[in-house]
Amino acid sequence: MAEITYRQALHDTLREELLRDENVFLIGEEIGAFEGSYKITAGLLKEFGPKRVVDTPICENGFVGLAAGTAMLGLRPVVEIMTINFILLAMDEIVNHAAKIYYMFGGQCPVPMVIRTPGGGGQQLSATHSQNLEVWFAHVPGLKVMAPSSPADAKGMLRTAIRDNNPVIFLENFALYNTKGEVSDGEYTIPFGKAQITKEGTDLTIISYSRMASVALQVARRMEQEKHLSIEVVDLRSLRPLDHETIINSVRKTNRAIVFEEDWRSYGVGAEIAALVQEEAFDDLDAPIKRVASLEVPLPYSKTLEQEALTGAKQLTEAINALAPRRRRS
Amino acid sequence: MPEITMPRLSDTMQEGTITRWLKKPGDEIKRGDIIAEVETDKANMEIEAYDTGTLEQIVVNEGQTASIGQVIAIVGSGAGTQKQASPATTRTRTKDTPSSAARETATRSVQVANSKASRSAPGSHAQTLPVACASDWQNGEQGDTNNSKIKASPLARRMAEEHNIDLNQIQGTGPGGRIVRDDIEDFLERATPILVQPAVPQQEVPVVATAMHMTDVEISTPTSMQKTIARRLTESKQTIPHFYIGNDIDMTDALTLRQMFNASAGEKGLKISVNDLIVKSCALALEKFPEINCSWMDGQFVQHKRINIGIAVDIPAGLIVPVIHDANIKGVRSIAREAKTLAEKARASKLTPADLEGGTFSISNLGMIGVTDFIAVINPPEAAIMAIASVRKTYVPIDGQPVIRDLMHVTVSADHRILYGATVARFLQEVKQLLENPYMLLG
Repeated sequence: MAEITYRQALHDTLREELLRDENVFLIGEEIGAFEGSYKITAGLLKEFGPKRVVDTPICENGFVGLAAGTAMLGLRPVVEIMTINFILLAMDEIVNHAAKIYYMFGGQCPVPMVIRTPGGGGQQLSATHSQNLEVWFAHVPGLKVMAPSSPADAKGMLRTAIRDNNPVIFLENFALYNTKGEVSDGEYTIPFGKAQITKEGTDLTIISYSRMASVALQVARRMEQEKHLSIEVVDLRSLRPLDHETIINSVRKTNRAIVFEEDWRSYGVGAEIAALVQEEAFDDLDAPIKRVASLEVPLPYSKTLEQEALTGAKQLTEAINALAPRRRRS
Repeated sequence: MPEITMPRLSDTMQEGTITRWLKKPGDEIKRGDIIAEVETDKANMEIEAYDTGTLEQIVVNEGQTASIGQVIAIVGSGAGTQKQASPATTRTRTKDTPSSAARETATRSVQVANSKASRSAPGSHAQTLPVACASDWQNGEQGDTNNSKIKASPLARRMAEEHNIDLNQIQGTGPGGRIVRDDIEDFLERATPILVQPAVPQQEVPVVATAMHMTDVEISTPTSMQKTIARRLTESKQTIPHFYIGNDIDMTDALTLRQMFNASAGEKGLKISVNDLIVKSCALALEKFPEINCSWMDGQFVQHKRINIGIAVDIPAGLIVPVIHDANIKGVRSIAREAKTLAEKARASKLTPADLEGGTFSISNLGMIGVTDFIAVINPPEAAIMAIASVRKTYVPIDGQPVIRDLMHVTVSADHRILYGATVARFLQEVKQLLENPYMLLG
């Protein structure tokens, strides 16, 4: 066990996978000579050379298409898109090609490709550079979508993503890169579609993922101290496939749930989970499911306005107070 | 539309009775306005508005009781004043006074009359409509016995079905009066004793019923404070293993000291009472024996650092125990002043939760009514209570000679889960010592 940052966990995993399998290569903007916009790929060009760590021009459409092509021919590209906002230029390559090829060609040709990309707001990067677009991908059959919240999960899940034979969207978050956590030694992997209960509880459930899952855990611990509320926190980890079983079992236990997400509320992860719960656990619900998400506006640049628009611990605390049962279960 | 719900006004409060509405439907209210008075288990309190708007509907009328979180009124823009009553209202209506029920019928008539009148010519229609509406309303009332019209969460419905509960019997405390799991569990908890021993009430009820002719008795409903007293004291006697230790205390010197005190206080000066001296002596003795200043909570000993003495005060509607906080570090005069204020507030129903919370030991004094001795029931979560009887002139052998002294019998009731006989005896010895040497109280 060692305590490392989320950034370090990603870096170490990329390096280990480059060493483990010669078909693995990295491709993206500024990842080589500049060592990555967030220094995830620091030192890797020097160690593995320009054939394994490929710098590209600013042309997401082009290099994502290139990566998909190399994957069809047997390489295992790990693409870095500088921020999820730039991925929109490559949507056709991802949704129409990478996600469909294995299916449309009768399983003859897998596409073992990973796209790593960070999202999230709060860095004063304004409306076009602060988005959370995960549901665009979680909506598409043929893609897998992972969104780890801790260094340990980042490591185990990136290994799984790189070793999988079809396209995986691997979502990171700017505000998570410097967070620290214990990471086990050894080559463990974390499977797709397996949520984790990061804190057990009986009064209500918070369902979240990525950075908001770590915020949820802090809030739940604090509320337990202050209000003697026993809150269960479910970290989804994968958005597609989605772990129905863990979500449903938790709601069956607590009867009340909040979905906490950094993206916009309409048509979001919360909407999907609320629908799922009412389909599979209607008779266990004691209150409508609450969705806590960011305001539906293009994110402002101004620090004050940006903080007002983004959701966070304050909004979650208010939702918990509104939803908490009068009688405590524990 | 904002709803005003019954707030939690004290730690032990479970429900409150609206004693008075200070606003009526249609009145403008501002955030911070006092809109109603509520009687809780401990005191009469005021409810403040948290929203600005028009009071559109009173859901819980004067004299009615609502549990915490239950909607008591609705505030809006004013457009919805005289609005149709919610299901919660229709189910509490059984308790309504005839006049308020009639008023509601009337307001519904107005609403329907208005909406229909907008489509057809006013005049002759408007006169016949109220009659039709009144019967509509009655039909609605009957239809309400159907569970499907009641607002309840899916889980509450399932639980009600499993336990064969008629949802009409339950008052919802969720948003908009929705019945939620908490309400079903409250209901089951209240129902449990009857369910567990069905044979007992069945055997006893006929006996009681035949023994009592209904004309010979008058039945009244306890106030919420009386209900709380009944509940808490039953809990105390049923869960706390009480034991009792008594002693006579020679109050001759204490009475002399008090007399001197009060003689020097002047006409309008503060008079101290025997009870104030007892409060002080108990506080000092608790300082010496902190184990008495303890509570049994969830299977653990909780040692209180502050010494807060409750004084049982006799009031017309029952009994209330305001608290003198940190009595060990207050002088006798401060205690006397505070005790006097608290007793006045108690009788005027003006005690606040702060006056009632945090007691760690209580004193119940019936000395002024002339009792030789009595024992008191512990006031949970405290570990002990001291019952004070009257001071009586008694012959006491001093140096082999009978001497008249002022003796006072006291009895400590103690929680045997925390305290043992010898500890309490030593504590009582200390109290005796202090009161028999009362100048020690002035330190």
